[in-house]
Amino acid sequence: MPREISFFDAYVPTLLLAILVAGAIALLADRLLVRLGWYALVWHPALFRISLFACIAAWLGLAIYA
Amino acid sequence: MSSPATPAPQSPSIGQQLREAAIDWGQNEFPNWIYVFKMVLAGLLALGIGYALDLDSPRSALITVFIVMQPQSGMILSKSFYRVVGTLVGSVAIVVLVGLFAQTPELFLLASAAWIGLCTYGSAHNRNFRSYGFVLSGYTVALIGLPAALHPDVTFNAIMNRGTAITLGILCAGVVSALVLPQASAPGLVRSVRGRFTSFVDLISGTLGGSSDREQLEAANARFVGEIIGLEALRSTAIFEDPEIRLRSGRLTRMNSEFMALSTRMHALHQLMNRLHAANTPATQLAIDTISPYFREVQPLLTRDSGEPVMTAADAADAALKLDRYKRDLPRRVRATRSAQAAALSDEALLDFDTAAELLYRVIDELHAYTLTYASLVQRHHEREQWDHRYAPKTSRVIAAVAGARAAITLIALSTFWILSGWPSGDVATLNAAAFCAITSASPDPARATRAVTIGVAGAAVLGYLYTFHILPHLDGFWMLAAALAPVLMLAVLMTTKPKLAGYGLGICIFFPFLAVPDNLITLNAAGYLNEVVALMVSLIVTTIAFMLLLPPTTNWTVRHLEKRLRKQVVEACYGKLAHLALQFESGTRDLMHQITMVTSSRPALRKSALGWMFATLEIGHAIIELRTELDGIRNDNPGLLPAAAYQALNRLRQTVPALFEQPRPDTLADALQANDVAIAAVQQAIGPHYRERSERHRLQRSLSYLHFIRTALLDTRSPLHPLRTAANVNPAPRAHGATDAA
Repeated sequence: MPREISFFDAYVPTLLLAILVAGAIALLADRLLVRLGWYALVWHPALFRISLFACIAAWLGLAIYA
Repeated sequence: MSSPATPAPQSPSIGQQLREAAIDWGQNEFPNWIYVFKMVLAGLLALGIGYALDLDSPRSALITVFIVMQPQSGMILSKSFYRVVGTLVGSVAIVVLVGLFAQTPELFLLASAAWIGLCTYGSAHNRNFRSYGFVLSGYTVALIGLPAALHPDVTFNAIMNRGTAITLGILCAGVVSALVLPQASAPGLVRSVRGRFTSFVDLISGTLGGSSDREQLEAANARFVGEIIGLEALRSTAIFEDPEIRLRSGRLTRMNSEFMALSTRMHALHQLMNRLHAANTPATQLAIDTISPYFREVQPLLTRDSGEPVMTAADAADAALKLDRYKRDLPRRVRATRSAQAAALSDEALLDFDTAAELLYRVIDELHAYTLTYASLVQRHHEREQWDHRYAPKTSRVIAAVAGARAAITLIALSTFWILSGWPSGDVATLNAAAFCAITSASPDPARATRAVTIGVAGAAVLGYLYTFHILPHLDGFWMLAAALAPVLMLAVLMTTKPKLAGYGLGICIFFPFLAVPDNLITLNAAGYLNEVVALMVSLIVTTIAFMLLLPPTTNWTVRHLEKRLRKQVVEACYGKLAHLALQFESGTRDLMHQITMVTSSRPALRKSALGWMFATLEIGHAIIELRTELDGIRNDNPGLLPAAAYQALNRLRQTVPALFEQPRPDTLADALQANDVAIAAVQQAIGPHYRERSERHRLQRSLSYLHFIRTALLDTRSPLHPLRTAANVNPAPRAHGATDAA
């Protein structure tokens, strides 16, 4: 994967795009988990959400840099 | 709120008193301290990351944290999302503005003033998440635009750098408040829903039992206006942070609308009974005596078998069953009473009785719906969730436009002075005035807020001088800096939690970092510091003066404008599209009243008059909407039910009532009353003495009772219309006696 992408002639790090994608994925996953009633089992929902986002973002980032 | 951890007194020998003090502190002060701790943590975190990332101006990140902080509700990631979007939009706007106008500073300043005016308008007009986006977009342009335009060669990098700092501040504030001891708004929501249900049940029992007077009811209704708006705001916050609330979001909105409909109806019934009591003739007394036994039956429906009032959603399910049974029996019983008493009741009294019975039936019907929705909150999924009426609070466009124009004019004035005088610190002054206009745009009384902030800034300037030149040179490394900043920031944030000191605290929070926190490249320059302080003070003083002079939101003009808009709601009720009209009317009227309440906090007389108009508007507008719905049904199903003359009379009423509310004058009032009397006579004629099918008769009877209700509302001695009537000495013409109905 290229580490920078030209966006209207400005170089944007691919990681930034990966983070945006991770945000979208996390949002969808969050909707799904709400529907399944998952958060009733979670101690700290906000922490869980942010960790979920961090995991997805890290996973995508590793895919770019590995 | 959500932190019940109360520090227990250390030794039991100190006794009860100390324990009580500790509990009191734990309930009132402790949450504030948590908030202070969180905000300072978020700020220093943003500052530290800023230094670590080698940003140009890490203090922008720190300042942003304090700009986005909000003590009332839990601050959550989704708010941050809107703010980040606002920042991005602002950044794009700067690129465009610099690209277009970098060579001509006059045009650039004019364009930025227009942009900030636009953002101020947007944030004043919207009162939900969008408002935050607008604030941040204006603030970004103010903070980045001027420095970027002064050095067009590095504009893009400067924007990226500052934009990163602002975004960093927003994210730190969001993440820290979501993760560290989160103050959830969901428990508050549950508490307020339950509290309102209980207090409303009390009110119904009191009113129908005949124990509460008008003053009490008015106060309760005024309180409900605030609660309806507050609940909606709380709901829109809580759906983002609590999935359980999001599942119930539709039902909460629905409850709010049902509550509005119910409280209007309740108020109408109470007013009608008051008017009957006030008339004090044997005929009205008989009507009162005939209907009152029914009122007394309502309270037992809302109490549990053990005698306590209904509290929880589970109790409400039980109450809903009882209400349903009562509702089904009511029409039959009322008909029986009516035919038993018809001989004794005069024509007029019969009409009063019918109107009261109709209102009572509607009250029970709506109370039943409200109770059902409340009861359904226990379940996660429920069919009552299907509710598509969105209620979006919006501030009046005119008032928001005034706020926007005010911000733009202030900026143009300051930048004109800057360009003409060649003042070296003019950029600092202009930048801060612009940022400040954007920040205060949503405040109900910006002049007062700005005054307090100005004084706070004076304090921040002195403190900042001490810090920059006596403490900062001795500090080594970020941790020392953080340790030195923490006490001042904590004190300032603590001040913002006290309503009286909030303005001073905000001034220190925002401008102390601006003056005292070093950028990555530290420059120590006492003369430069003093120049900045002077520029800052000048910009704030000019902003304050502008807020005080240029049509501040608290003037009588604003209140009059809002009151006019309030009356205009009746025009809407007369001519608007019928679908969803009742809900729009209810929420719109209450929203306007809420805005009036916000700007008249120091003038109870003005508020009282506005409240009078709100009740008149709600009663008459609501009756007109019902009447229109009824007529619509008649027109579609059986247009021959009413003669042409009746339609004509009703149309005339539809013209005269809006005319009255647009221009409340004695002659318009007389017109409306006369049109109403004609319409009543026409409908009475249509009902006629002869036999009619029950559903047909019932329809006409209902229309008649709405008309009669409008008449009593127009004649109410306590409404703001009353002075008009006494001024012109318009007395209600003795009503043409139509056909007598024998049931």
